[in-house]
Amino acid sequence: MPGEARAQTEGEIGSPYPTWPWIVTQLVPSPELVIQDGQPAFGARWQLTPVLFSFGIHRSQRPWRAFVVEPIVRHSGSLEWYVSPEYIALDDDFSRRFGLRTGVRSYVPLIERGDYLSLSFGTSVMRFQEQTAVAYEVGAHVLFGFLGTLLSYSPTPEGGRFISTLQLRFF
Amino acid sequence: MRCARSALALAVVAMMSTMGCRIGQLMTRNLAAFGEERSLPNRITHPERPDARLAVLWVGHATALIQMEDKFILTDPVFTDTIGQLSPRLVEPGIAVENLPPIDAVLISHMHFDHMSLGSLEMLASKVRWLGLPRGGLVYLTDFAFPAREVPWWTSQTLAGGLRVTSVPVQHNGWRYGMDRDWRQGGYTGWVIEYRGMTVYFSGDTALNAERFRATAQRFPSIDLALLPISPIHPRDYMHKMHVDPNEALTAFELLGARWMVPVHYDTFVNSLDEAGEPKRVLLEAMEKRGFDESRVALLEIGEQRVFIER
Repeated sequence: MPGEARAQTEGEIGSPYPTWPWIVTQLVPSPELVIQDGQPAFGARWQLTPVLFSFGIHRSQRPWRAFVVEPIVRHSGSLEWYVSPEYIALDDDFSRRFGLRTGVRSYVPLIERGDYLSLSFGTSVMRFQEQTAVAYEVGAHVLFGFLGTLLSYSPTPEGGRFISTLQLRFF
Repeated sequence: MRCARSALALAVVAMMSTMGCRIGQLMTRNLAAFGEERSLPNRITHPERPDARLAVLWVGHATALIQMEDKFILTDPVFTDTIGQLSPRLVEPGIAVENLPPIDAVLISHMHFDHMSLGSLEMLASKVRWLGLPRGGLVYLTDFAFPAREVPWWTSQTLAGGLRVTSVPVQHNGWRYGMDRDWRQGGYTGWVIEYRGMTVYFSGDTALNAERFRATAQRFPSIDLALLPISPIHPRDYMHKMHVDPNEALTAFELLGARWMVPVHYDTFVNSLDEAGEPKRVLLEAMEKRGFDESRVALLEIGEQRVFIER
């Protein structure tokens, strides 16, 4: 390629897509402390975002994302539908410790358009040990959403279930 | 085969320890610098210079306020206390945001936290008349009221009053969060600003790519002033692909054929393994060795304003 032409070649900018590093980092679980009927237990959750709509993104840009979401697109203000496989060590039978949660969550930016701090509010339903329970949650997220804490409360099962999650998230 | 596998494992472990060690060193330096921000006495409160056709006030890092007659341009504005929450500011900004004049053009070179600071843009928003970004920049800008536009390389925008900005190629990278590097091979740029016969060049961050500097010089043969970074230097084996060191910055200055150079991007944040004061010291040594003096390479202090062309 002649020098002048090579000097003019600008690198590609594409849309986000699942890459191997992304896939591997999605396998990293977020640890949880679960309290159900006064009994504490360890837990963990993984998260996927099938669809997200960003209302913080620049008006000229496409606001929809599927699975791979750039941190600022999420934390500058968005609404996401998420799916979370969840592990809660509340039964001696290992196979009964897994559940599935799905819900919606909205992010509100507080500092640096959400890059430094954002809050989240959400609601979800969880299927766990043959029971379906609704939960409500609030969260705070720092370091571009890499680190966060989620507090959720579910009035069912009887006695209620509190979950405190240290959220680790990579995109 | 087993030997090859062992060698590979050893190489991976060695590489990871080296990287981990460097990141650890960098983090330690950053944590030690929290709470150490130095204040500047007698900061300029009225940066408009009626006696100047071309003046520059170095705000710190890659942020410079350029006056070209009645127009003001601000490069990569960062006025926040930290970059990326983990790297604290070592010196307060060279001018307070409230003392800035209305800015005709804010120019962003790339998406890294020390160049596109969303918190700083929030502080400035009411003063910004136009913002230019490299291709792919708008997705990370978020929504501001002021007009913002991506400008691909070798493309110009003529703004109100005839101020003209052109995006020009440099060599760096355009990701922001690390994992986005796979779909963001572009997304960085240098800028040439032209107004009433004066030409200013701002590279943002760049490695030494002689071909690209020559191409810019061919299209803009009379650059008056070049704002060029001189840091980070270390670790050189990693940085040389993305950043010029002081000696290479002088080479870039020569290749661009500019009349004056203002070194920027040093001693404002900890973003490398450079010792405090090292970039400036190495630059002065390189200048002496290569016959440059301060009449051509203007080493400004943070907060200092210099008039290059008088009215």
